[in-house]
Amino acid sequence: MKTINKDVLKDAASRLMFDMSEEQYDTLEKEFDIMIKQMKLIGEIPGVDNVEPMTFPFDVTTDYLREDEVTETLSKEDVLKNAKDVVDGQIKLPKVVG
Amino acid sequence: MNYLDLTIKELHEALVKKEVTPLELTKEAIKRAKEDTNNAFETILEDEAIRIASNLIEPEEDNIFWGIPIGIKDNFSTKGILTTASSEILKDYVPVFDATVVERLLKAKAVPIAKTCLDELAMGGTGTTGHKGITYNPFDKKHERLAGGSSCGSAAMVSAGIAPFALGSDTGDSVRKPASYVGLVGFKPTWGRISRFGLFPFAPSLDHVAYFTRSVEDAALTLPVLAGRDFKDATSSNEPVENYAEGINNSINGKRIAVLKEVIDSIHDDKTLELFNKTIENLKEKGAIVKTVSFDLNLLEAIYPTYMVISCAEATSNNANLDGIKFGPRHGGDTYQEVMNNARTIGFCELIRRRFIIGSFSLMRENQNDLFLRAQKARRLIVNKTNEILENYDFIYIPAAPGIAPKFTDSSDKLSTNYLIADNILVLGNFAGLPSITLPVGLIDNMPVGANLMGKKFQEKALFNVAKAIEDGTGLYNLSSRKLVK
Amino acid sequence: MNFEAVIGIEIHVEMKTKSKMFSSAPVAFGAEPNTLVNPVDIAFPGTMPVVNKQAVINAIRVSNALNMSIDNELWFDRKNYFYADLPKGFQITQDKRPIGRNGYVTIKTSNGEKKIEIERLHMEEDTCKQLHLSTYSLLDYNRAGTPLVEIVSRPNIRSGEEAMKYVEQIKSIVQYTDVSDGKMEEGSLRCDVNISLRPIGSDKFGTKVEIKNLNSLSNVEKAIEFEIIRQQQLLLAGIPVDQETRRFDETRKETVLMRKKTDAVDYKYFTEPNITPIRLSDNFIKNAIDTCPELASSKKDRYMNSLSLSEYDADILLQDKDVSIYFDAATKFKANPKLLANWIMVDIAAYLNKNNMSISKLKLSPQHLSDLVLLIEEGKISSKQAKEVFADIVESDASPIDVANKLGLVQVSDEGAIKELVLEALNENPQSIEDYKNGKDRAVGFLVGQVMKKSHGKANPAMTSKMIVEELKKR
Repeated sequence: MKTINKDVLKDAASRLMFDMSEEQYDTLEKEFDIMIKQMKLIGEIPGVDNVEPMTFPFDVTTDYLREDEVTETLSKEDVLKNAKDVVDGQIKLPKVVG
Repeated sequence: MNYLDLTIKELHEALVKKEVTPLELTKEAIKRAKEDTNNAFETILEDEAIRIASNLIEPEEDNIFWGIPIGIKDNFSTKGILTTASSEILKDYVPVFDATVVERLLKAKAVPIAKTCLDELAMGGTGTTGHKGITYNPFDKKHERLAGGSSCGSAAMVSAGIAPFALGSDTGDSVRKPASYVGLVGFKPTWGRISRFGLFPFAPSLDHVAYFTRSVEDAALTLPVLAGRDFKDATSSNEPVENYAEGINNSINGKRIAVLKEVIDSIHDDKTLELFNKTIENLKEKGAIVKTVSFDLNLLEAIYPTYMVISCAEATSNNANLDGIKFGPRHGGDTYQEVMNNARTIGFCELIRRRFIIGSFSLMRENQNDLFLRAQKARRLIVNKTNEILENYDFIYIPAAPGIAPKFTDSSDKLSTNYLIADNILVLGNFAGLPSITLPVGLIDNMPVGANLMGKKFQEKALFNVAKAIEDGTGLYNLSSRKLVK
Repeated sequence: MNFEAVIGIEIHVEMKTKSKMFSSAPVAFGAEPNTLVNPVDIAFPGTMPVVNKQAVINAIRVSNALNMSIDNELWFDRKNYFYADLPKGFQITQDKRPIGRNGYVTIKTSNGEKKIEIERLHMEEDTCKQLHLSTYSLLDYNRAGTPLVEIVSRPNIRSGEEAMKYVEQIKSIVQYTDVSDGKMEEGSLRCDVNISLRPIGSDKFGTKVEIKNLNSLSNVEKAIEFEIIRQQQLLLAGIPVDQETRRFDETRKETVLMRKKTDAVDYKYFTEPNITPIRLSDNFIKNAIDTCPELASSKKDRYMNSLSLSEYDADILLQDKDVSIYFDAATKFKANPKLLANWIMVDIAAYLNKNNMSISKLKLSPQHLSDLVLLIEEGKISSKQAKEVFADIVESDASPIDVANKLGLVQVSDEGAIKELVLEALNENPQSIEDYKNGKDRAVGFLVGQVMKKSHGKANPAMTSKMIVEELKKR
């Protein structure tokens, strides 16, 4: 596992597209300290590595697939009405490079 | 008597007899909402509610929701109505579609009175982190105690007698814990029982649509309207919807109920235990078999970190759509990255950002095995143990919280080592997707305290039956701060 | 030192389903921006994905055509990253359990046949479309959520030609199975190439360079050939190859640097919690395969074995799926398949070429083409006359017999009518009878000419000639 330090956390924040104050990184470091210790303890629970990771709360396997039919389309106005910068019926962004 | 102080069942009878009209009720609810001092509301829907209520003339006898004022947590998508999730990043977002559950309520002619406050993006348990600030516990006029979160506004609304029903969402205990703090029935059904389409996701594998009422029977009567398969939510269940209130007063003789030893052991408040034990005595008198069983301390202590890792990981991904591009405020930027960065830095409170980093870090390739996947494995062990108990018992019964609502000064959203099993035990119901109901069992210093009953999947009917027996035993039916707090 | 190229190809194919991968909004090309969008596609909060059945059927069909093993349960994963064109901030894909695994296709190159191994095929969704203008970019969500299959080969491709043939084969499969338009130039089939060099005999991999934006088969070949030489020159000069992404510059005919690759992006994959596992019954999979439109390889067998076409002809007809569909439709009627094939490959091809038209836009119906060929076979018009009729019906789709009549081209094959003219011609030309009896066979030709003149060219030449000889023998 990656070692936690402020740089690692700052890098994680920048990959999540936000910034935080220095104080928050301090708080976060402490939180990580606690969490990682707790997760280590979990790793020591007998049998924890003998089971499959669980995503769904119980067996929810289905055989339903949606028929390939068009049933719902929004008007262009509804698509765009919450966007803050719209030009020519499209959402505008600063030029996206690469 | 004010009709708003009735339960849904009573109110429905009054509406059917035309003792009161939906419009009169709505006006009274709006008035009470405007007088609210607990910061329960994001938006009061005065015009919409009056318009809907004005059109309700002929009562519908077999429609429980006809003309009933309701609250909707502000993380349910409502068409044409501001929906903020109590976050700055959505402070101007007006959805173009209704959540399925909202659609069903509107179709049943319920009258939405308000969108209610929550912990930002439903990611908190204190009711203090929404962008409009703290929501107070209506039982505590000094405003020193939590209503609990994240469904704080819905809890405060129903408790304060502004409506007899409010929608919430429950990912860890976000309805069932505040229900305990404000003296309400808080219920979440089996995972997949109610469609989540239109509920802003926190952690989909744990998220449930849930709600507050003031009686167990109300919870049972309203479920058929909300439950059922929805083709827009692939995880919604095909299990047939039942008449859940039928047989609610049946005998509970012979029902097997497990009380979790470690949870009881972790509670140090004698009064809370005393009230809880009284209900056990009552259950036994009614013929139920109540036994204390041991869970596994390691697993119980694993609940909170497991929950943190899974919920934060799913949350960081679910909320990646909040980038200021398609909706939500923009705060400028010379590149698209800056546009996103500004929107997300300004838009999320610091707690949320810390949670996202924890979640994201847990998912990183080199950390997944030790964090995210380990948490998912721990979840399986915890669920296996829960189901093992439910092979021998019909229900698991525990105090819903270690005591009455804590003071703001005693609570924190920071991760700490100060860990209390009884404070996090309700998550079991989310891990295993089991139906779970909190109901009041007593008052301590005029503050309510609740208990929680958890049943087998899709056995909501049996759950309501036993919950009703507990309610009958305590007599704490239709509790509200409006009646009790002067 | 001699090097060998190690090439792996990732192909993204846009499906032409009616609705999107996870939403019920329509899939279409070239619509007004932001008019084919529903709340799921633009990632409004609270929306949830629901898997499109046809997309799954398509993925099964392509997997089967690629000889892959098909999973009997569908699982989806989230691929998390931020980008301007990614509405949800993650893409739903199949990381851990792709629907198709371990397949191959056989390609034919100038060096003979070769099996190209395919590692995986999975379903995912497309991003929205960005329009880059001088100072800003615009986002159109019509494409967001379009179903894709991604096909990932193993790195056992060794040359530009092999790569090109491989992509051509995949293109043919997705077109013939009706899964996609497969148009590289429109982006409905997109291909990314990973290429590295290593000394022959080594089993280590060199530094990988990725080439993107290859919008035609020939560019795939050219880009790889260029890149092999570029990397070879670097290595021979002792300069290490950098890990980078390049694109093919069509005018300069070379690959150019797009960006240097830093450490690999961590997509933080995890199971999509909003899609429960979907069981695919044996029956469902079998049915998807059984009802799959015929593949080019199977059509080729049929053309050669049942219809007796040459391999060359079969290949030409199969180059364009629509051409083969046209041919198949025409063979449903009575005309000889070989003759039909010739007409399609020569006359129709020339017409389409001249008018820069695709066969799907052709007015002439397969039935009328068959009718035309039948007129020739039955001797009602000559091949030369048929060309005149064709010139008309290719524009009008009129009935060939009507056109032939209108143009006065239909041969008289009525025995009585021809006999009358034959007798007339013989009576008028006693000298020719004399010549014939003296062994001058060309007299017959002269007499046929006379009959043709009298019939204004409509008399069936074969019948006329036969009848003249019979009559001459009587005299």
